[in-house]
Amino acid sequence: MAKVSNTFVPKHTVVENINPMTKILAVFSLGLGTLIFPNFWLGLFVILGLFVVAGLAKLLKEFVKIMFGFGIPITVMLIFIQGCYSPKNRTYIADFGFAKLGLEGSLYALKVVSTLLVFLGTFYIMNKTTYTGKLVAALTNSGLPPKAGYLVLASLNVVPQMQRRMSIIQEAQSARGVETGGGMLARVKAYIPLLGPVVMSSLTDAQERGMTLETRGFGITGVKQTTYVEVEKSGLDKILNMLLILFFVIVLVVTVLMKTNII
Amino acid sequence: MSNVVLEVKDFSFKYRQTKRKALKKVSFQVEEGSFLCIIGANGSGKSTLCNALVGLIPHYFVGKMAGEIRVNGINVAESSIANLSSEIGLVFQNPFNQLSYTAGTVAEELAYGLGNRGESREKMVEKVKYVAELMRIDHIIHKNPLELSGGQVQRVAFGSTFIMEPKILVLDECTTQLDPLGSEEIFDIVKNLNSKGITVIMVDHDMERVARCADRIMVLDQGEVVAIDEPKKIFGNPDIVNHHIDVPDYVKITQALREKGYTSHEIEVTEEPTVELVKEALQA
Amino acid sequence: MKIELKKMRHVYPTGDEALKGIDLVIEGTDPVAIIGQNGAGKTTIVKHFNGILRPTSGEVLINDENIEKCSTAQWSKEIGYVFQNPDDQLFLETVRKEFEFGPQQIGMSQKEIEDRIGWVAKLVGLEDKLDVHPFDLTSTEKKFCTIGSVIMMNPKALIFDEPTCGQDVEGNIRLRRIIEELHDRGKLCITISHDMKFVVDNFKRVIVMCKGQVLLDGKTEDVFTQTEVLKQSFVTPPPITKVAQGAGLKKTVFTTEAFIKVFEEERKK
Repeated sequence: MAKVSNTFVPKHTVVENINPMTKILAVFSLGLGTLIFPNFWLGLFVILGLFVVAGLAKLLKEFVKIMFGFGIPITVMLIFIQGCYSPKNRTYIADFGFAKLGLEGSLYALKVVSTLLVFLGTFYIMNKTTYTGKLVAALTNSGLPPKAGYLVLASLNVVPQMQRRMSIIQEAQSARGVETGGGMLARVKAYIPLLGPVVMSSLTDAQERGMTLETRGFGITGVKQTTYVEVEKSGLDKILNMLLILFFVIVLVVTVLMKTNII
Repeated sequence: MSNVVLEVKDFSFKYRQTKRKALKKVSFQVEEGSFLCIIGANGSGKSTLCNALVGLIPHYFVGKMAGEIRVNGINVAESSIANLSSEIGLVFQNPFNQLSYTAGTVAEELAYGLGNRGESREKMVEKVKYVAELMRIDHIIHKNPLELSGGQVQRVAFGSTFIMEPKILVLDECTTQLDPLGSEEIFDIVKNLNSKGITVIMVDHDMERVARCADRIMVLDQGEVVAIDEPKKIFGNPDIVNHHIDVPDYVKITQALREKGYTSHEIEVTEEPTVELVKEALQA
Repeated sequence: MKIELKKMRHVYPTGDEALKGIDLVIEGTDPVAIIGQNGAGKTTIVKHFNGILRPTSGEVLINDENIEKCSTAQWSKEIGYVFQNPDDQLFLETVRKEFEFGPQQIGMSQKEIEDRIGWVAKLVGLEDKLDVHPFDLTSTEKKFCTIGSVIMMNPKALIFDEPTCGQDVEGNIRLRRIIEELHDRGKLCITISHDMKFVVDNFKRVIVMCKGQVLLDGKTEDVFTQTEVLKQSFVTPPPITKVAQGAGLKKTVFTTEAFIKVFEEERKK
C-alpha cells in the first residue's frame, strides 16, 4: 500500500522532541535573518550549523543529498546569470571569452543561494522531524484559528491521498485499454487524461469532507479547541526560543549598523 | 406517549441545480429511543432527508426550502451544523470522506470531534478507548486512517460520529463497504445503542434487516412520504411494491403460504417466526 | 473463453500473502459469482484475470496464453473489468464519449462503435442520457455508465466488482437483464458480490473464497447446501434458503416458487 501522511519517520532524537512552534520560529528567524543580512557569510555559517542539526536528527545523509542536489545546480546557474550579466558588476575576476565574470554579481548570487538554502534546509529538517499531528496540536494550542490550522494539515495530507487515487484510477484506465506502462513518453501520454478524474474527484471529495467536518463539530462557537496529541514546551524549547529571537535581533541591529556605514 | 425528539413539518427542498423537488411536504415525528427506517428507490429523497436532519440543508446545500425541522426543540435552520453535532450525528455513505484528513492515527481521528468541542485530554483518552473497543478497532488504533481497508474506515467513521454522543443517530447506508458479517456486527452495535435509549434513523436497502431492526418504517417515493407504519403493516400492504421497493423474503413466503391456504397466520417479516410458521404449516 | 489459474499465489509488497496457491478453471459462458468475506482475496483474484495484478508465483492462463505475455491494456480486448467505484473509471464530458473511449483505445472501427452504442445504451438504461455529463448522473446511473463503457469494448469476458453495491430494486433488475443478455451473446460474466439474493438469482456457479483460498466451488445449489463449510467463510445463505433449511425442508431452494413446491412435496408425505 502507498506510503501516506507526511514523510515523518520516528527516530527518537533531540530534534524530534523540540516543540513544533520552536521549529517554525527557527525557520523564520534563521531564514529572515539570512535574508536581510547584507552578505552571504551569515548564511554560510547558518548552513554549516544546519548540517550539525541534521546530524543530531540522524538525517545527515538525506540532508547532504538535498542541499547539494539543489545547491550546486542553483549556484552554478545563478553565478552564471548574475556573475556574467548583472548590471552591478564593476570588478571582473575571470574571462571566459564569451563573457566576463563579475565579482559583485557573483557575491549577490551567493547571497541569494545561501538564503534559499537556509529556508530549504530549515524547512526540510522541520518537516522530517515533526509528526503532523503534533504540528497541528501545537498550532491549535498557540491559538491559531482552527480553519487556518485545518488548511495547513489537510494540504499536507492531500498529496498522498491524490497519489493513492491516481494509482487506482490508473488501474481502472488500463482496464479500458490505456497503456500506462512502457517508456516515459507513453506514461506522460497516459497520465494526462487521468488528471481530470483525479482533480475532479478530489474536488468533490474536498467538498463532501468540508461538510462532514462540520457534522463533527468543526466550527462550534465559543469553545477553545483541544487536541488528542500532547505537545510540551520543555526548558530546551524556552532556551532555543530565546536564542532564536536573540539571533534575529542581533542580525537586525548589525544589518542596520552596516547599512548606515557605522561599522 | 414518550418524548418527541425529532419533528419534521411540511418540509420541502429543491436543490438549486435540479428541476425536480427532492422532498415534497415531508412530515413525521420520531419519539425518543425509537428506531425508524427509511426506505425507497434511489433518488426518492432518502439522503436529502438525512442531510436536512443534521442541518447540512440549509446550511451547506443551497436550494429552495420550505417547512421546518426541529431536533430536540431546536430549529435546525436557525442553529449551525457544528452546534447540532451533539444532538444529532450522521454516518455518511462514503466513509472515506468522513475522515478529517488531519489525523495521523485512528485514535486522533476518533478524538477529532471531541477536540472541536474543547473536551479535556483525559476525557478524550477515556472515550477513544471505549469507542475503539465498541467498534472493534482497538487493534488498529495507532494505524494511519488512510492505510485502512474500506470496512475498517467504515468502522472508524461510525465511531467518530458515535463518540460525539449524539442523542439521535442518523445512518445513511453506512455499511456499503462491509461484508455481511461486518454489517451484522455494526447493526448489533446499533441495536444495542438503541436499546440504551439512543434514537436511530436508518436508511438501508436490505429489507430483511430493515424489518428486523425497525419499530417503524417510512417509505419515500419521489420525495413524498407514502407510508409510515410498523414493519408488518408496511410490508403486509400489497400495494407497497408499487413504490419501487422490495419486501423481505419472509413476507413473500408467508404470503404465498396464505394464498395457497396452508396457513391462516398473518404475514411474518423476520426469520424465526417465519421458520416456526412453516414448521407448523408442514404439520397441519 | 477459458481462464485458468495454476498454483497461483499473490504476495503484496507488504508481505501479506493474499492468495495462497489457487487452482481454478473458469470456462464457458455460465455466469460465475465469487463470494466471501472482506479480505478473503476476491478482488485480488479477479485483478489477475486481466493482468492488473501479476502472480507472485504460479500461472494465469487466458485461453491457454500466459497473462504475462501482454499488458492489461492489451488484455482489455479480451476481458473487461468494471471497477467498484465509478469515479475511478469515468473522466470524459459525456456518456457517449465514455462509451466511445475504450473501443477507440483498442482500435475498434467507428462504424462498429456506432453500431454498438444504441444497443449498449439501451441495455444499461442510458439511451436518453448519452449527451449528459457523467458527473450529473445519479450514483446508480454512473455505475451503469461504467458497465456500458466496458460492454462497448466487446470483450469475451466481463468482471464486475460489487455491482449491486448501492443499487435499489430496479437497479438489481437491470443488472439481471444485463447478465442474461451478455450470457445470450456468448459472454462470460464473473461477479464479486456480497448480496446472496442477487447471487442465487443470477449465477449458476459460485466460488467461495476464504483467507486467500478457494473454500467451495460448484453449482449454486450444491454450494449453499454445505451450510457447515459455508460457516467457515462467514457466508450465510439467502433468507428463503435459510427458512427452508430452518424448517427442515430437504432441498436447497432459492425462490418462493421453488420453496412452495418443495413445501408441498414434503407436506404430502
